[in-house]
Amino acid sequence: MTDPLIPRQRLHPLTPVLKGFRLLVLAIVALSWRGIEQLEWANWLALVAVLLVALLAYSYIAWTVTGYEVVGRELRIHEGLVSRRVRTVPLERLQAIEVLQPFQARIFGLAELKLDVAGAERSEAPLSFLPLQQAHALRGQLLALSGGRPEHAEAPPAETPLFRVENNDVAWSQFLTPPVMFTPLAVLYVIGQLIFNQNFGFFAIASMFSALFATLIAPGLRIANFWDFRLSHSEDGNLRIQHGLLSKRSQTVPVHRIQSLTVTWPLLWRSKGWLRITLAVAGQSSVGEGNRRAETDRLLPVATLDEARAVMPHVMPGVDLAALPMTPVPRSARWLAPLRARVLVAGLTDQVFGTVDGFATRTLTIVPYGRIQSVRLSQGPWQRRLGLATVHADIAGGTPVSAAHRPVEEARNWAGELSLRAHRARANA
Amino acid sequence: MITIEIIGRTIWTVVFLGATLIAWWIGAPMWVVLVGGALTAGNLIGTYFGVRAIQSYGYAERERDLLVRHGRLIRRLSIVPYARMQFVDVTAGPLERMFGLATVRLHTAAAASDATVPGLEAPEATRLRDRLTALGEDRGEGL
Repeated sequence: MTDPLIPRQRLHPLTPVLKGFRLLVLAIVALSWRGIEQLEWANWLALVAVLLVALLAYSYIAWTVTGYEVVGRELRIHEGLVSRRVRTVPLERLQAIEVLQPFQARIFGLAELKLDVAGAERSEAPLSFLPLQQAHALRGQLLALSGGRPEHAEAPPAETPLFRVENNDVAWSQFLTPPVMFTPLAVLYVIGQLIFNQNFGFFAIASMFSALFATLIAPGLRIANFWDFRLSHSEDGNLRIQHGLLSKRSQTVPVHRIQSLTVTWPLLWRSKGWLRITLAVAGQSSVGEGNRRAETDRLLPVATLDEARAVMPHVMPGVDLAALPMTPVPRSARWLAPLRARVLVAGLTDQVFGTVDGFATRTLTIVPYGRIQSVRLSQGPWQRRLGLATVHADIAGGTPVSAAHRPVEEARNWAGELSLRAHRARANA
Repeated sequence: MITIEIIGRTIWTVVFLGATLIAWWIGAPMWVVLVGGALTAGNLIGTYFGVRAIQSYGYAERERDLLVRHGRLIRRLSIVPYARMQFVDVTAGPLERMFGLATVRLHTAAAASDATVPGLEAPEATRLRDRLTALGEDRGEGL
């Protein structure tokens, strides 16, 4: 057995307090409704105190058995009080690392380390909590190891800032979304109802306010999430994405791990000329736990085309978003997609396969040849009548890139060309 | 494979027909009988299309990738490079086993990749599996 590169270390001693706190809040909420009614006030307090002590004790013991170490090219995470568990993360499979500072941890200068591993359903093994400095250092070491350098990374490589999103733009862009735009209408409608019906029920007002709150909370959360959005680029080819107002996130993605890029032009943003870019990494899914979508896949939450073009050389070198050689679909495609036929274009460039789709919300998806997993052709009965076919390029950790309604000959050629170019790109890598 | 499809469909047809007849016999409402009849008829039609769908399957092992073609109404062609293969599944249901057949399925890191070859004779399935894994081994890690 080789000597550990990083000997076994524990997490920060405040971890049990922070984790216990979360559980405690839940427990108190669960108790409160019935609890205060049935128990006396003093008894209730005593119960909470007992719970607090019990949770702290449990968290403390759990903390003592939790730790991590790096052996060879593996990160091992020990955890579990009742059933011990050692999770081994092979570092060659590491796709991206995120240093996350939830609000309560940020107060104490602590951070959580999230690892994205290929093949995992969601982010594997969050290491929480570590002091911020240590988290950054560990991230640097892990990235260096996953890149094949066995030495300890010394100082983190120099970073050059690439782009910074104006907070004003973030706020505006989130208000230019359909739910927010329709809110005034909905409010007017409800007010009208109230005036004409003379039915000032408590429920009407309460439901109006809760609905208003619900529509505004989502953009609000997103603004807080994308606040102070910075994109930078380090010398060893990693992208660093940092953002967040209350919870700070700092994500590091090796450029060669990016599977595909999606550029979206929402309808309401067109007047501003804005777009947003999301990236797909294997092992990372934007669909978070439950419906609390973390939306950690943003490369740019809002930017103009020129800004996006300025960033591209560091993300996918040699790809110019404005000058992709795209060919439109034949007129016969209008029978199948009357509105989209004019929008649908696709093309093969030197390095990437790109397609554009969507009538109202236009999306451009590009995938480098080297990242294509498999190629498919499909042809429905109507497409066969019209001599059309659809080409799909499947990628890991994302939805397939599809070029719909291409002429059959072209589709066949493309499918062959895509698999050939994918092979060449792999051979060169 | 066609035989299996026919047997499978026949079993369902008999079940639906039986249920319909029983419903009729015990005097269930008319719509129950009609639904049963429709299911039976649908199954018979389904048998025809099912057989055609199975006849449409074809695969070719090329130098670098596996081609799988299937579908009548919606035609599909998958090109899966061996280098991208993550693992190979060989499954055989009870009916398939009775006829010594198996289904080989190729998985890549992309969930959408679809390369399924049903109804291979057992030795052919084993040969294909071994060949695929052998080809996959010396061709990179698949990401």
